[in-house]
Amino acid sequence: MTSPANDRRKGSDTAPLLTVDNLTVTFQRRGQEPFRAVDGVSFSVRPGQTVGLVGESGCGKSVTSLAIMGLLPKRGNQVTGTVDYEGTNLLTLSDDDMRDRRGKDIAMVFQDPLSSLNPVIPVGLQVTEVLERHRGIKRKDAMPMAADLLKRVGIPDPNRRIKDYPHQMSGGMRQRALIAIALACAPRLLIADEPTTALDVTIQAQILALLKELVEDTGTALIMITHDLGVVAGLCDEVNVLYGGRIVERGDRHPIFREPRHPYTNGLLGSIPRLDTVGERLTPIPGSVADNLPWDHACAFAPRCSQPVEVCTTNTPTLEESGGRALRCFNPVEVAR
Amino acid sequence: MTTTEHEAPGAAGTEPEVLVDVQGVKVHFPIKAGVILDRVIGYVYAVDGVDLTIHKGETYGLVGESGCGKSTLGRAILNLEPPTDGKVIFDGVDIASLKGEALRTKRQDIQMVFQDPLSSLDPRQSVESLLVEGMQAHGLAKNAKEARPRLRELLKAVGLPVQALSKYPHEFSGGQRQRIGIARALSVNPKLIVADEPVSALDVSVQAQVINLLEDLQEEYGLTYLVVAHDLAVVRHISDRIGVMYLGSLVEEAAAADLYAQPLHPYTRALLSAVPIPDPDVEDSREQILLTGDLPSPSNPPSGCRFHTRCPWRQETRCDDERPQLRVVAIDGVVEGHRVACHWAEQIESGELQPHAVKAIAIDPSASDTLGGDLMGPASLTEAL
Repeated sequence: MTSPANDRRKGSDTAPLLTVDNLTVTFQRRGQEPFRAVDGVSFSVRPGQTVGLVGESGCGKSVTSLAIMGLLPKRGNQVTGTVDYEGTNLLTLSDDDMRDRRGKDIAMVFQDPLSSLNPVIPVGLQVTEVLERHRGIKRKDAMPMAADLLKRVGIPDPNRRIKDYPHQMSGGMRQRALIAIALACAPRLLIADEPTTALDVTIQAQILALLKELVEDTGTALIMITHDLGVVAGLCDEVNVLYGGRIVERGDRHPIFREPRHPYTNGLLGSIPRLDTVGERLTPIPGSVADNLPWDHACAFAPRCSQPVEVCTTNTPTLEESGGRALRCFNPVEVAR
Repeated sequence: MTTTEHEAPGAAGTEPEVLVDVQGVKVHFPIKAGVILDRVIGYVYAVDGVDLTIHKGETYGLVGESGCGKSTLGRAILNLEPPTDGKVIFDGVDIASLKGEALRTKRQDIQMVFQDPLSSLDPRQSVESLLVEGMQAHGLAKNAKEARPRLRELLKAVGLPVQALSKYPHEFSGGQRQRIGIARALSVNPKLIVADEPVSALDVSVQAQVINLLEDLQEEYGLTYLVVAHDLAVVRHISDRIGVMYLGSLVEEAAAADLYAQPLHPYTRALLSAVPIPDPDVEDSREQILLTGDLPSPSNPPSGCRFHTRCPWRQETRCDDERPQLRVVAIDGVVEGHRVACHWAEQIESGELQPHAVKAIAIDPSASDTLGGDLMGPASLTEAL
């Protein structure tokens, strides 16, 4: 029942499975300046590695994942940069080619399982659909496989459950079903967009344990998109902190939590109440995302920053890499300890 | 100011003044079926017998997972959801028995802050009219002009500019809207504020602003809070005492620090161990108690201890058929006022009973069976229609 500590640093020398380079997503707005939701985001994922994209609402983390999956509407927006999946740029693939890959090579788990499952089709059929589409398995043969998949993600009595409609399942079970669909073709890359946000903590713990086990056992690469730093601390190998569409800090989870250098990361950590420390007063980040400056000639975070310097409002900071860490800041937080 | 009679646990010497005394409150919602004639085919036992007291000036946190009845209990205390049974004694008056004008007047003392500030603020009312409405209803101001000085004071207290008065809710960000909701609650000088998930719709950085604001206001106006939330870290941060709910009843109640330092109920243990902590070193080293299965349906709660279907410490005797009552347990280091509803709390704490993995998994299908079966009810109803 108790899951022991996880200790994994595997795959640190293997080649990346997915490399996102300079990904930029611009939304056209009628009568207004276009809005750059994702602004030159670069990161990579290796097999068996879990990479976290963390940030508050509006930081571009979900748009990044939709762009990788090619799920953004074609009209009214522009996606530039490259998304390299084993030598193929996913952004240049045709719709048909991309559809072949989606669900097979790359799968995605969304936040709200009720709105991502089809309400009028039994859950089992939604699992077999993937098997039929990508592996050409007949429905008759696919059904037992679907039951197996549901069993694997921890749904009790799967043979009865495959006939259930989504509304007959609880939230946690729906999320498991969604993960089962994502796993149906054994994808090598899984993107999970806030997979536990709609769930209760005890169910969240179950789902996170399931994802962790999956990464460890099958070497699937996982991109974890979340706003919850607690989830990141337990699950991710590498953490990318996003603000205003750009990565502001990157690092392995231990150093980034122990010594946050960017004032935003530091501010986030200071503003969440923790269960294991006695109630000191929280230090919130003042203002809101609405106060952002444009990245073009300033640091977007400057108006909310705890330690801005003059150059923050006149120049754009660049992402400087050193020793496995990356930081976009003119005046980083001093490392105290 | 009358102090109500109550069986306050512990509290020797300086007994804190009781503001709210909840006695055996039950809220049962009927499940109806039928096309023309409604038949009552069962009940959802949302709150099923809760006793608790809230002291003056403290923050009482109510935690639990979705469907445990924490919000319904919060609403029952305001009589927004009339209790099926039981008493809510507020300041010497039983709110549950009040009706009409008497209830309306009493509500001046108890205000609520809701989860979603956008849907709890009328989009067509300016901030000024939102704030004045309550004051007029309770005779604190005749018109907006007269209320002006008070409104300015309120806005200043919640950290909004005076210009906000003429704006409408959609012109504000989520955090600012929640501030308006708090200002509205404060406008009638309440004694108790029931906050139902006050920060769960907000971004983490903004969450902290609102939490700090609630703390400041409590100090300034001497408010008493009942905070209903699912986020244990938030509840622990702002509460003085915490009650943990599971399927309509309290399973454990203690001072915030004691509850975290020494959780006694198996459910509280599992709940606390499931909360992710933003520290990789802690995450790597701690042991999690993973519960199997989901929350059983409140319309068909398990017999005996409500938690026995998921409990890793479930025993052959008592757990299945005898409903445990909240009691003070005799364990070294457990302070008075720490109450737990578990037959085996002492044995579990001493290590005499060990968690068993197999049992909990074996009962999982049956647990979800009852759940699935109950969810079938409403489903077939819509199909029938």
